[in-house]
Amino acid sequence: MKKRSSIFLVSVLMISLLAACTQSPSATPSTDAPPASGGTATEKPADDKPSEPEAPKEPTKFSIGMRTLNVKYVENHANINDDPYVKALERFTNTDLDIRLIPHAEYETKMVQMFATNDLTDVIQASGGISGKELAGSVEAGVFVDLKPYLEEHGKALLETIPEAAWERVTDAEGHIYGIPEYLGNPSRRATWIRMDLLEKTGLPVPKTVDEFLEVLRAFKKLGVEEPFAGRAEFKYADTFFGAYDVFGYGNELELVDGKMQPKFLDVENMQAAIGVYKTMYDEGLMSKEFATVNPNTFKATITSGKAGMWSMNANELPIWGEQLVNNVPEAKVALIPSPIGPDGKGGYSLYSPVTRSFLITKQAEDKVVDIIKFFEWQTTEEAKLFFSYGLEGTDYAMNGSEPAYKAPETNEELDKQRYLNYWLWMVQDTTYNELVLSQTEEGRALIEIYDTMLANEGRDGYEFNDPLEAWVNNPDINPFSDRYPPLINEHIMKMVFGQEPIADWPKVIEEWRSKGGDALIEEATKKYNEGAVVYAPQR
Amino acid sequence: MNSHAPTTPNASRAKPPKPKLRSTLSFMLKYKTLYLLAVPGVVYFLVFKYVPLLGSVIAFQNYNLFKGFTGSPWAGLAHFQKMFAHYDFLRILKNTIYLGLLDIAIAFPAPIVLALLLNEVRKLAFKRTVQTIIYAPHFLSWVIISGIFVGILSPSSGFVNTMLSWFGIEPIYFLVENAWIRPVLVGSGVWRDVGYGTIIYLAALTSINPELYEAAEMDGANRWKQTLAITLPSLLPVITVLFLLKIGDFLDFGFERVFVFQNSLNLDSSEILDTFIYKAGLQQMQYSYATAIGLFKSIVGLTLLVIANTLSRRATGESLY
Repeated sequence: MKKRSSIFLVSVLMISLLAACTQSPSATPSTDAPPASGGTATEKPADDKPSEPEAPKEPTKFSIGMRTLNVKYVENHANINDDPYVKALERFTNTDLDIRLIPHAEYETKMVQMFATNDLTDVIQASGGISGKELAGSVEAGVFVDLKPYLEEHGKALLETIPEAAWERVTDAEGHIYGIPEYLGNPSRRATWIRMDLLEKTGLPVPKTVDEFLEVLRAFKKLGVEEPFAGRAEFKYADTFFGAYDVFGYGNELELVDGKMQPKFLDVENMQAAIGVYKTMYDEGLMSKEFATVNPNTFKATITSGKAGMWSMNANELPIWGEQLVNNVPEAKVALIPSPIGPDGKGGYSLYSPVTRSFLITKQAEDKVVDIIKFFEWQTTEEAKLFFSYGLEGTDYAMNGSEPAYKAPETNEELDKQRYLNYWLWMVQDTTYNELVLSQTEEGRALIEIYDTMLANEGRDGYEFNDPLEAWVNNPDINPFSDRYPPLINEHIMKMVFGQEPIADWPKVIEEWRSKGGDALIEEATKKYNEGAVVYAPQR
Repeated sequence: MNSHAPTTPNASRAKPPKPKLRSTLSFMLKYKTLYLLAVPGVVYFLVFKYVPLLGSVIAFQNYNLFKGFTGSPWAGLAHFQKMFAHYDFLRILKNTIYLGLLDIAIAFPAPIVLALLLNEVRKLAFKRTVQTIIYAPHFLSWVIISGIFVGILSPSSGFVNTMLSWFGIEPIYFLVENAWIRPVLVGSGVWRDVGYGTIIYLAALTSINPELYEAAEMDGANRWKQTLAITLPSLLPVITVLFLLKIGDFLDFGFERVFVFQNSLNLDSSEILDTFIYKAGLQQMQYSYATAIGLFKSIVGLTLLVIANTLSRRATGESLY
């Protein structure tokens, strides 16, 4: 009896385990199955109620996968779908959203998992245009709906509002449009910051050329400023002087020289001059001797504790960083000044892509495309602008006659909420700055001014390809990042700045780069350019 | 998995069973409860450990996420060729082996020495406190550890360089010097794991029969002699097993540990297979290529393990299997 019951127990265990096992393979992707069939099976037939044409339409139900973008309000929310602002957005657009969050840090791997397991949302958010790595070739594999015909018929306002340069980034070589972009009207986002109070102490005017900048930095040093120029590992957010000499090496910084498409750092003379500036700063202690190991946190701490005199950061951080700095150093005054200009009289940082996020519709939701487009189109209206800038009338702001009376957020929670509404929930907009919010304060209006007059006139850009070039993909060592040099190039720049290699050896570095895949890269890029593959011309 | 399991019994039924097979079957029948009990474990290993191994086939394909194993074209050994032909392959392999050797030479004996030292401590409260303190770093993530090390090794404000300056030595920027990065990598590993590693040795030490020590004392052996003649030989089986396991992981120096310390000035000495796989495979999404390198790493590890196991069995009689 005892034995029999143990056999029974074991077999029950075994069967339940087997049952669990047989389920798991079916959950893994059957990648051959057309993605569309999965969606249609769960949807009600569209012609459910054909006899009621004028009845109020049921809200369109769709799921949307969105990266959290490190927005605290989103990440700390118990369930973002219960959020009053999401509910309000649903009311405005007659939709029923099912937002699925993708953690910011693991975005690329989570997206690839989503594709690998075919567990897709109806709308997918991509970072930038349709050639992003996180999309893992899904666009070419035909996972998404071509929106062009739908937009031409139902999304005219979108086509008119969003600039051509942004549409280009979501259009493939055949002219299919695969996404609705959130765009940057002004892609010059980074700026050169300076401690105005320190500059006043030195008695020097606002510097313009590289030499004048060095002079100011030396004067800062004399004043006892610990890090006149705040350096950072791999020159991320410290590439100011490479911009002055126009020798960036990022993915969007190719240039045409003698009919050849090549990275800008092949310009030996300017590159040597730029490295020379950094070497001077390193040798004279105008930047930290330890900048090779400075990470973002140390960088921010150095600046907000008042140890730095000059640095580079995104312009829209001005209100936050500025306030944190003043909290620590009451006499500090921060200003954004034009970036140093090089021999060609221009300067600035590498321009951002005109698309910051884009929204792609998967084929499983093909029957809802029109309603989804309307959802995005609503976001370009004046009503939407008011909602995403200020929040809900009555709770967040009151109407003072025809003028909205909005109280600027003060606590951290209020700031988080504002960020969430302004930059996260508002999916289709010119995301350069929030005009309604900034125009409420004096500093805000000053920042708008900086964007429109100063930053609009600086910045470096070059040619960029839609698909990542194969020579880059095959040679990780020469493959650049969005705002950092390729590892190989960075290695040599660092060695030269640290005095381990002479700057005169730059031609040798280029030789090495050429032999390790650089030649193949130039050849491929030139060929693609001549063939008219999707290439984005410099924006500026 | 399901399709494979039934084939053996079916095949055996078709042919007249050999006597040996029959005796095995009747043996199994006799202990069927035990076999049934083993089934969940076997199934677990098949499903979660062996079936995923089949995924390694993508090393021989040009794997396309949307076509899967079945639809992706075969590439033969192209990815392996690409790996061996890479201009930096030798350097990366050399770094990996070099770091692995350093780790075995320094990080492996460290917990043994520490456990022996702790074993000599007579004050129980002191011993407990020391143990707790040296365990603690094991629970820190590498990101935090790298932060700590950047701090204490900093040439301007770091503790180490302050100490060096007392002896009139110029400050050293350890983290960007190729000559220093390996000691830093191995040293940080020792610092993090040495305390945790002593657990198993301390446990083994408690199982040594105290009578052996009493007898040795009677014979006039001092503590040093006792350690050499009793403690170490008693620990030897544990040491051997752990050493063999370590050999199997020889090329697995650990991705995170190196990655957090890497910068463009120390790459010459710090680029290892793990970090290269991360850069080539995950950052550039070359799954097949990364799998090929990973497979190469595993095969080297397995080969080394088999060799070491055989040597050990012949030399000491201790072995993993």
